[in-house]
Amino acid sequence: MHGVDNSCVHVIDDDVAVLNALARLLGAAGLPVQTFASAKEFFAQHSPEQRGCLVLDLLLPGASGLEVQEALAGEDCPLPVVFLSGHGDVVASVRAMKAGAVDFLTKPFEAEALIAAVRQALARDGVAARVASLTPRERQVLGQLVEGKLNKQIAAELGASEKTIKVHRARVLQKMAARSIAGLVRMTERAGLRAAAK
Amino acid sequence: MPVFRAALALSGSYYLAAKLGFALTPPGSPFSMVWLPNALLLAALLLAPLRQWWVLIAAVLPAHLAAELQSGVPMPMTLGWYLGNCSEALMGAGAIRLVCGRPPRFNAFRDAGVFLFFGVLLAPVLSSFIDAALTTLLHWGEGGYWTLVRRRIPSNALATLLVVPFVLTWAQGARLSPGAPRRYLEAGIVLGGLAAASLVVFNWLEPGAGARQAPALFYAPLPFLLWAAVRLGPTGVSTANLLLAAAALWGAVHGLGPFVSGSPEDNARDMHLFLIAVTVPMLLLAALLAERRRVELETRLQRQQLAHLSRVSLLGGLSGAIAHELNQPLTAILSNTQAAQYKLAAGGEVDRGELGEILRDIAAADRRASEVISRLRALFKNSDSQQQDLDVNDVVREVLDLAHGDLTTRHVTVVQLAEEQLPKARGDRIQLQQVLLNLVVNACEAMSTDGAHERVLKVETRRGAHDGVQISIIDSGPGFGASAETLFEPFYTTKPHGLGLGLSISRSIISAHGGRLWGSGAPGRGAAFHVDLVGALPGGHPTLVQ
Repeated sequence: MHGVDNSCVHVIDDDVAVLNALARLLGAAGLPVQTFASAKEFFAQHSPEQRGCLVLDLLLPGASGLEVQEALAGEDCPLPVVFLSGHGDVVASVRAMKAGAVDFLTKPFEAEALIAAVRQALARDGVAARVASLTPRERQVLGQLVEGKLNKQIAAELGASEKTIKVHRARVLQKMAARSIAGLVRMTERAGLRAAAK
Repeated sequence: MPVFRAALALSGSYYLAAKLGFALTPPGSPFSMVWLPNALLLAALLLAPLRQWWVLIAAVLPAHLAAELQSGVPMPMTLGWYLGNCSEALMGAGAIRLVCGRPPRFNAFRDAGVFLFFGVLLAPVLSSFIDAALTTLLHWGEGGYWTLVRRRIPSNALATLLVVPFVLTWAQGARLSPGAPRRYLEAGIVLGGLAAASLVVFNWLEPGAGARQAPALFYAPLPFLLWAAVRLGPTGVSTANLLLAAAALWGAVHGLGPFVSGSPEDNARDMHLFLIAVTVPMLLLAALLAERRRVELETRLQRQQLAHLSRVSLLGGLSGAIAHELNQPLTAILSNTQAAQYKLAAGGEVDRGELGEILRDIAAADRRASEVISRLRALFKNSDSQQQDLDVNDVVREVLDLAHGDLTTRHVTVVQLAEEQLPKARGDRIQLQQVLLNLVVNACEAMSTDGAHERVLKVETRRGAHDGVQISIIDSGPGFGASAETLFEPFYTTKPHGLGLGLSISRSIISAHGGRLWGSGAPGRGAAFHVDLVGALPGGHPTLVQ
C-alpha cells in the first residue's frame, strides 16, 4: 500500500533507550524506520516530498510533539502522526486528534497497538500522496466518485461532457492504483480520507 | 500477677524502712530522724492503678504490725499510726492523681509543683493532725499536741520529698542519661563529687564546727546538685538528693557535722529544714530544664514532620513528570521484549548478537526504573536527618533527573555549570534534594509566564567560602518585585495554589545544616537563589546526628 519509494516511519523521541526500542520493534514488524532524538534533528533533513508517517513523543525538549504537528500542518500533504505520551494527557490528546493525528498512545503501550496505528498512518499517507498527485479537476471527480455518483450525474454537476468525465475517471483510478470504484471507496475510507478527497 | 509482686516488694521495703526508722529514733521521742515507710506507700500508690490501691494498703499492714510490735509499740498506738500513715499516703496520692490524671512526671514543671504542694506539704500537714491527735490520746512519748504536729510535718515532708521522686523517676524507666557511656561517666563524676563534698560537710567536721563555718561550708555540695539538675535530669537530681540526705543523716547519727549542737529534736528539725530547702529548688530546676528539653524535641520533631509534608506535596506536584520518568524505561522494556518476540516468531536464523543487545538494553532500562523508584522512596520516607559528606554535583544531577519531565514539559533548557573537583559538603542528601527540587520547581513556575524560547535554568556549583560549597539556581523569569527576604516568610506565596511554606522550610533546613539560603536579582532579570553549605569534616565519617 505504501508504495512510494522514500516512505518510512520517522520516530522522534528524546530518550535514546525508547528510541532504540521503537526502532527495533517497528523494524521487527517489517517497517522501514528512521530515528531522530529531537524535532530539530528531524527538521534538519525534512522535505515536503518525504513520505511515510511520524511517531512523535508528546514531551520533547525544544519544540513539543504538538508543535511539530503544527509545523507540518502547513504542507500540502503533511505526514500523518501517531502520538506517544508518558501519561494520559487528555487536553493534549484532544488537541492532537483534532489536528488530525492517527492515534494517541499512552506509554507503555502494546506492540500491536503501535504497529496497527503506524500501518494505518502509512496507509493514509499512501492514499493522501496519491490524492495529492491528482489534478484539481481529477480531485473533484474523485470526490463525486466516492459518493457513488454516476458519470452522467458527475458530468452534470461539473458542467462537462460525459466523455471527458470518463477520461478523468480512468485517470483517477489509475493514479490512485484502484481496480474499481468499490476499491477506491474502501481505500479512502480506510485511510480516513473521505472528507479530504472532496 | 504484677500487683502481688509489687505488693510483696512494697511490704518488704516498708518493713525495712520502718526498722531503719526505729533504729534512728532518738530515745524518748515518738518520731524518727527519718521515717520513710509512708513515702514508700505514697510512691507505690502513685504508680499503681486506682483499683489496686486496696491491695497495697492491705499489704503494708503485716509489715507495719511486725516492725512496730517488734519495737515494743503497744497495739493501739501501732494501729493508730497505721491509720495516720495510710491517711497521709492516700491523701497525697489521691490529690495528685486527681489533679495530674496519671502518675506525676518529674520532667514536667506542673507535675513537680502538684507533687510538692499536695504530696510534700498538704498530706503531711493534714495527716499530722490525725497522727498527733491519736498519739496524744494514747499518751505515747513526750510533748504536747502542737509539738508533735510541728515535729512530724518536716520529717514526713522530707521523706516524701526524697523517696517519691527517686522511686517514680527510676520506675518510670527514665535513665540517668540516654545512651553514650560518656554520659554515664559524667553521672559517676557528679554523684561521686557530691558524695565526697557531703562527707566533708556532714561527717568530717568536729561537732559544732558547722555552727561557726556553716554559711560557707553548707554550699560545698551545691555545685554538684546544680550540675545534676542541669545535666542529669530529674532522675539524676532525685538520686543526688537522696545521696545528700543520706550523708547528712549519717553524720547526725554519728554525732558529726553541723546538726549536732542542740537537743536531738532540734538537730533533727534543723537537718530536715536544711534538706528541704536545698532539695525542693533542685527538683523544680530539673523539672523546668527537662520540660524545656522536651518542648525543644517536640518542636524539632514537628519541624521534621512539616519538612516531610512539604516534601511529599512537592513530589505530588511533580507526579506527572515522575510518571513520565518511570514510563520511559517501562516503554523501552516492553518494546524491546516484544521486538525480540516478533523476531523469534518470524522463525529462521536467530541473530544472537542482536538478541544479546536487546537483553542488555532491557536490563539497563530496568535498572533505570528501579533507580527512580528508590530515589522516590527515599524522598517519601520520613526519616531522621542523616549528615554525611556529599558530592554536591551528584545531588544536583539527581534533582535535575527527577525534575526532567517537568523541565521538558515546560520547555526549560537547563544549563549546568559544575565546578570540577568540587570539595565535598556536609549535609543530609534527602533534605538537600528537597531544597534544590523546591528551588528548581519555583524557577520553572516563575518562567512559565515567559515566551517559550527564553526559558533557561542555570544551575551552578562552585567552591564557596571556608572550603564550603555554593549552589546557585538562576532562572530567566520575571524576577521578584518584592524584597528577596519577604519570599522566605512563611505563608508568603505568589502562586494561586501555593501554601507559601516551601522557601521558609527550605531556609530552616539549610540553617539547620549550618548553611545559608538567600535570593538575589533585580526585577526583569530573573531570580537567583544561592545555597551555601559547609564543607566536609576533615576525615569525617557519616554519623547519625540528633
